[in-house]
This record gives sequence, C-alpha cells and structure tokens, in this order.
Amino acid sequence: MRTLHAILFTILLAAHAAAQDPHAMAPPAPTTPRVASNINTGLIGIRVRTARPGDVIRVPAGIYREHIRIETPLSLVAEPGAIIDGDGSGDIIEIAAPDVTVSGFVIRNTGIDLDKENAGVRAIAPRALIENNTLEDILFGIDLRDAHDSIVRGNRIGGKDLDIARRGDGVRLWRSDRALIENNHIHDGRDAVLWYSQGITVRGNTAIRCRYGFHLMYSDDVTLEDNEVAHNSVGIYIMYSRGITIRQNRMIRNRGPSGYGLGLKEADRFTIENNLMVANRAGVYLDGSPFSTQVPGVFTRNTIAFNDVGLTFLPAVRGNRFTLNNFIDNVEQVSILGRGSLKGNEFWHEETGNYWSDYLGYDQNQDGVGDFVHESYTLFESLVDRHPKLRILLFSPVEQAIEFVGRAVPAVRPEPKFIDEVPLMRPIAIESGRPAQQADRVGMTLTALAMVGGGLGLALLSRPVERRRRTSATGGDA
Amino acid sequence: MTTFPAHAPIRLAACPPPGLVANTLAIAQRELREAVRSRWFILYTLAFAVLGLSLSYVTAAAGGGMGLSGFGRTTAGLVNLVLLVVPLMGLTAGAGSIAGDRERGMLTYLLAQPVTRTEVLLGKYLGLSGALIACIALGLGACAAIMAWKGDATRPASLIWLGGLSLALAMGMLSLGMLVSVLARKASVAVGTGVFLWLVLVFATDLALMAGAIAMKLRIEELFAACLFNPLQVFKMWSLHAADASLDVLGPAGLYATEEFGAWLHAIFGASLLAWIVLPLIAASLIFARRAPV
Repeated sequence: MRTLHAILFTILLAAHAAAQDPHAMAPPAPTTPRVASNINTGLIGIRVRTARPGDVIRVPAGIYREHIRIETPLSLVAEPGAIIDGDGSGDIIEIAAPDVTVSGFVIRNTGIDLDKENAGVRAIAPRALIENNTLEDILFGIDLRDAHDSIVRGNRIGGKDLDIARRGDGVRLWRSDRALIENNHIHDGRDAVLWYSQGITVRGNTAIRCRYGFHLMYSDDVTLEDNEVAHNSVGIYIMYSRGITIRQNRMIRNRGPSGYGLGLKEADRFTIENNLMVANRAGVYLDGSPFSTQVPGVFTRNTIAFNDVGLTFLPAVRGNRFTLNNFIDNVEQVSILGRGSLKGNEFWHEETGNYWSDYLGYDQNQDGVGDFVHESYTLFESLVDRHPKLRILLFSPVEQAIEFVGRAVPAVRPEPKFIDEVPLMRPIAIESGRPAQQADRVGMTLTALAMVGGGLGLALLSRPVERRRRTSATGGDA
Repeated sequence: MTTFPAHAPIRLAACPPPGLVANTLAIAQRELREAVRSRWFILYTLAFAVLGLSLSYVTAAAGGGMGLSGFGRTTAGLVNLVLLVVPLMGLTAGAGSIAGDRERGMLTYLLAQPVTRTEVLLGKYLGLSGALIACIALGLGACAAIMAWKGDATRPASLIWLGGLSLALAMGMLSLGMLVSVLARKASVAVGTGVFLWLVLVFATDLALMAGAIAMKLRIEELFAACLFNPLQVFKMWSLHAADASLDVLGPAGLYATEEFGAWLHAIFGASLLAWIVLPLIAASLIFARRAPV
C-alpha cells in the first residue's frame, strides 16, 4: 500500500500537478482587502461614493477603467455595453455594504497577484446579488467572504490564460452561508470552491476546463443539482463535508492525473442520484467516504458509463450502497486499489441491484432481474488493481488470454471483487439531461464508402492494367 | 529502329529506360494480382470483415439504447481485433512469398528476367502491401458502414487513424515475414516460423513484460520504453493516443508518457513502426542479394 502511494505520488509530481493534488493545497487565508488610492475615482466610482442607500445607478455603455468599492446598499445596473476594465491591476468591484446588486456588466482585466487574490467582484457583506455579468480575463471571478445569503446567478466567468498553478478560482465562497450559485458558466479557472459555507445550493451551472469544477471544503448541507462539469481535472470534489446531495449533474470527460467525475474525500451523509458520469478517467473516486459509518453513502439511479474505471475505491472505504445504477462499458467497472476489499460496501440491497453491462447471465422468468448472481472476478483486473502500471497492457490480446486462464483454471481465479445478487437485465432510464455525444453518421458513411471503394479499387486494379499492357504490347509488335 | 530522330535524347531523358522503379512496379502489379486472386486474401478479408462487423454490431447494442456512447469503445474492440488478425496476415503473407516462389520454381523464372534481386523483393513487398491495404480497407469499411447505420458515436477520424495505423502495422509485419521467407529453405518452414513469431509478438512478449514488471519491479519509464520495442504495443498505444489524445487510459505509464512526451508521442510511435518496416526489409534484401542462386 505504501509503495502504491509512493508510486501515485511520484506520478502526481511528475505531472507537475502540485496544483491538482488535494493534499498539497493549504487553505487560503483571506487577506484584508487593501484600499488603494485609485478606488472610486472614476465615473462610476464617484456616483457610487455619493449615492444614498437604495439608489439604483444605471451605467450607460462605454469602457470604464476604474476600481470600485461600494459602501452603501445600492444597485449598480449596466446598460448593454458597459464595460469595467481593471487595467490589469487589483480587484475591480468590491461590495462592502449589504444588499448590493451588481448586474449586467462586462468586468475584465484584474491583476494577477495570487497573494492579494485579485478578483472581478468581491463581496464582504451579506445579501449581495451578482447577476448576468460577464467576467473575462480575471484571476478570481466572484469572491464571497462572509457574504451570507448572497446570490450569484447567470454570470459568465472566464479565467486568465495562465498556467493552472497561477490561476485563481472562478467562484469562491468563504464562510458565506445559504448562498445560491445558479446558472453560471465558468471556464478556464482553477476551482469553483466553497470553504466553510453551509446550506449552499449550486444549480444549473457549467464548469469546463477548470481544475476542479466544483469543490467543497468543510461545507455542510450543500445541494449540487443540474450542473454540467466537463473537461476539468476533477468534476465535483467533496472534501470533509457532510449532508451533501448531488443530483442530476453531468460529469463528462474529466481526465488527467486525477480525472474523477466525482471525488469524495472524508465526506459524510451524502446522496448521489440521477447523475451521469461519462468518459472520465474514474467515474467516482471514493476516499474515506462515508467518514463515519452510521449512515450509508447512497448511490442510486446514476449512469456511470465509458469511464476508464467506473468506481475507484481506496482500500479502507466502506459503508456505501449502490442500487439501480447503470454501469455501462467502463473499461474497468469497479476498482479497489491496493489489496483492499470491497466487503464493507453493498452492490445490491434487498430486492434491488444494478445494471452491469458485463453481466453474462440471463433472465428466464422475465422479471427483469438476472437469474444468476453477478460476481466480478477478473484475473487481469485484480492484477491491475495491485500493479497499476500493468494498465499499459490493457486492450492487448494478453489481457484476454489472462482472463481466459482465470475463467478456465479455478485455482488461479481471484476472490470475487463484489457480488450483486439481483442484477438488472436492462439499464434503467434516468433523468440527467442530454446524452453525452452525438454520432457523426454522415462522416461515418463517407468513411465507409471511401474505405470500401478504396479497397475494391485496389483489389480490381490489376485487371485494367493488364489489359492496357497487353494492348501496348500488341501495338509494339505491330 | 536504327536511326533516332534529332530530338531523341530529350525524349529518352523524359522517359527513362526500365529501371528500378519500373521493374519494381511491374513485379508489384503481378504480385498484387496474384494475391487478390489467392485464397488467403479472400479468407483474411472475409474473416476480418465478419469479426469487425459482429464486434461493431455487438458494441453498438451494448450502449443499452440510452443514446450514450463512449470514447470509441468500438474502436478499442477493433484495436484488439487488428492486434490479433493483422500481424498474422502480414507475417504469413510475407513468409509465404519468396519461399513459396522458390519452391514452385517461380523465383528461378523471375530472376532469369532482366531484373535485380532487390527489385524482385521490393516489388513483391509493394504488391503484398497493396493486397493488405485492400483487405484492411474492406474490413474496416464494412465496420464503418455498421457504425454509421447503428449511430455509433465513434468519430470517423479515429477509424481512419485506425485504418492507417493497421496498415503501418501490417507493413511492418510483412517486412518481418519477408525476412523469414528469405532465410527459410521451405515455404512450410517459413510460414510456421511466421506463425511462431506471431505468437511471440502477440502473447509471449506481453507476458514477459508483465512478469518483468512485477518480478523485477520495472519502473514505469522502463515499462513504457520496453513497450516501444513491440510493434503491436506501439500500434495499440498510437491508436489510443490518436483516438483519445491521451494515454491516461493506460494508467501510470500512460500518464507518464503523455506528460513527458506530449505531442512528440506521434513521432516516437512513428519512428518505432517505421523501424519495423524498414529494418527487416533492408536485412531481407541484403541477405537475398547474397544468397546462392536458387
């Protein structure tokens, strides 16, 4: 186990993924925002400074190169085309009063100082409403600090084109309870991260090409639903948090050294339902979750398909219950690292099991449940779980040869990895949004035509050539 | 034919006398013609196409009708099929070529013509390559047709990559087969050796690699380097790399390769396969040119 960890750690290092290693990240201590001399000196700033509580300030189109600090409860509403440009330094808008609205702006070009955490919009007072803004070229996007009951809705947040280690978080919450994060589109940032924030709802967002799509640290009673996280290093990562509901999210193609659709590290009381995890390196990664074994970790009605590994368990993980999930064509359906055992987890409960695309049994009595137990024992997989480096031989004929030996020779057959006594015969329908990929039928048809045509052409090539040569030969004789 | 027109030298320069290229192509055409009509070509094409068809059919059905499809699961299955069938095809076709002709006395007849031994060897190689191209294109084309019909989400580009790489693998194995053919006295011995080599490349080297990785605790760099010597592994890694732009499906060693070499992987894999095509062929032609008359 120790060597395995050492290997994994080396890989992480080799992949210069200090930024992607959850353990390497210290909690960022929020620095006190420093008031620079150029704050509230521009056109908007002057109006903000002189506004009375409850004012609505409408900002006409134009480019405003300024930094704003709002100290009065007011609404700052952009007319189309209003752009606030930070000129590559500092924060852009800081909300220091409660009940402030910032809406409809293009906010761009913050500083790149990670120590000062330069942000597009930073709220340090409760009940901020930040909606329909477009944040471009920013280090941190929207940063809520002690901003309880705030709403972040309908923003587009795009990070700076920096190395992942030098990027900031697209959205960050720090001790901001009961916030709503809704319908935002976050791309090319580091994380959308919740620190010490309770009772948050994260709904309808997309996060692409980030490090972690959504990342929970010590944040309890959080609901994540209907989000789409794709092409990140990790789709959703839950750490040290309790009371988590994750439903109807789509986690697609999160790859790389971490590469989890959903990661759970020492999380507790979680329900994972109706999600789609497709083409990730690992669909679900379980590390010490559930942390206490009082309440089982619930996984139900998820479709976990076409991942390199469907479920990855660290050796000591126990207390999870999987029912009514679809496990479709993952290269390896379930993997337990090292020499651990899956005995503490349930892959069926009472009368309900899961759908396994590699189930080999049949259903004579037509009740939708396979007549034989689904036992997963594959010699090659168990070898690979113990020696991950052997994965390089995956898809080789030798893999099938070893599986064949494992089936034919009971003496070398490994213990079943897990058992599902009531496997489903057909995948169950789930509501988790659109399918992941569309087929390119036209392209494929053209490919087929080109290949068959080319092949036939080549095979028939000899005949006309022969005839031509014969005629030329006769011509020569004449 | 005794007097040339005044502009004859120019015409001669524009249209060189039959030499290496023309002779080689003539022999290649003959070889292709013969191969296409032969039983092995038809059998291999049929086997390849039927296996590929059933595979694409089955994997398209396994998606469970959920409108889901993965990162070319079908492609992965096809990779496996190619790994088994194509090397066998290349090795046996190559092994049977020179040795077979020698046994039938065809070689004596060929070498009595105004052609060099290198031309004969190259011509045969090209002709057989053409036959293998036709075989692979027909087989994969049939699979593509099934995938288009079933709406499989495999990208056409990855299938085309697979075709091209299969061809490179086939040519490498053909080259190795011809080396065997040049060395062997009898056609049966040559083909037997070809099949043995196939077994070694398909199973024995990988098993040895597994054993080595576990027993000798090979590091992932060494494991990856060792895999580069097996054309089958190179083909497999390259086609996964081309289909998915990442080798992380192959675990730590794959991650290492992706991070360490990135875009250079294409060059590395290409160099390895090219070596397998060129080196045995050069060796074969050197040996063939030096051997005693048949």
